[in-house]
Amino acid sequence: MQAAHASSLSALADPPARMVDGAAMDYLLIEAVNALRVSSAVASARARKIERDMLEAGLVPPPPAKQNPRDSASSTTGKISRPADDDEGVKSRLEAIGMHVGGNFAERLCRDRPLFSDSLDVIKFVCKDLWVSCWDKQVDNLRTNHRGVYVLQDNAFKPIARISSWEGRQEALKRAKLYVALPAGIIRGALSRIGSQGTVVPEITTLPQCTFQIKLLKST
Amino acid sequence: MAPPLRLNAVAFISPQNHPILIRTFEKGDELKYHYVAHTSLDVIEERSQSNGPTKSNDCYLGLLYAMDEIAAYGYITPLKMKIVIALPLTDSVVRDAEVIMTFKALHLAYYHASSNPFIRLHDTPAGVGSAKWKRFRRKVDEISRAVGGGSVPS
Repeated sequence: MQAAHASSLSALADPPARMVDGAAMDYLLIEAVNALRVSSAVASARARKIERDMLEAGLVPPPPAKQNPRDSASSTTGKISRPADDDEGVKSRLEAIGMHVGGNFAERLCRDRPLFSDSLDVIKFVCKDLWVSCWDKQVDNLRTNHRGVYVLQDNAFKPIARISSWEGRQEALKRAKLYVALPAGIIRGALSRIGSQGTVVPEITTLPQCTFQIKLLKST
Repeated sequence: MAPPLRLNAVAFISPQNHPILIRTFEKGDELKYHYVAHTSLDVIEERSQSNGPTKSNDCYLGLLYAMDEIAAYGYITPLKMKIVIALPLTDSVVRDAEVIMTFKALHLAYYHASSNPFIRLHDTPAGVGSAKWKRFRRKVDEISRAVGGGSVPS
């Protein structure tokens, strides 16, 4: 009976890992961004229609100063160009999804490690464990100003490593900005689940190099 | 051949010190284990603050305190979530390895429950009585049975 108890407890404590096909995962993430872009366009078109209807019914004063939660941009009375409008919507949705995923990733990866000693330790955990489990490599360069700002540089960031556009490099760069919103959300979610609130800003200068600037708010 | 450990109660406490789940496996009064969980919180905080130069980075906190035939063991995850289990105070030796394995199993059950994106939509770990946390409760019961509890959860 003892042996049975011990083995069933250890099975519960450390179940065998379940694997996901790597290529399928990459495809899923690429298609997810496209699907969300379409879905967000539909949602913002619907919101604009409602605004127009309310305007016509006279419920809203003519310059629409109503804040639409879907538009994360500031409330301007001029015409916001539609592509940028939709982009903001998709970016914020991707970041929200990323935050969820990042938080859960952090929970999973923190199972077998000791407690964090300070915020540099937290960042190193992000650079090594999180990067390896999400994107199969470690961060290439970490710079800090020791006052809560960290710059992580990856010379061949996996989600944008294979992106290319028939309209040329610049166009590809612009499109790539959307694809790094999800990874930025993952990093931000992991950090917030660990307890360090902060902002993560992704920047792409040349493909496939990508830098993330992390500003942590509290200093432990 | 020591007799198998019996688990009296399990308590999960969130990083913001809210209770997530307190489950008792002994036909006693449940409120006692809420009190045990509260006192353990104090002990954990005391230990994690006073450990100045000799700060241990271990997750397993060991025996927190013993009171009134209950021995409370604590575990803190790197994400600041705390798990406290209450074992009956016996004279037989309690192996650390078994307790650590119990904690890891409990942590994994919590991880499975919280990775369900529909539970934590607004990131508040409140409302554990609802139907969505049923599988979590069932897993915790299973763990306590694996440890050798055997008594009906209240």
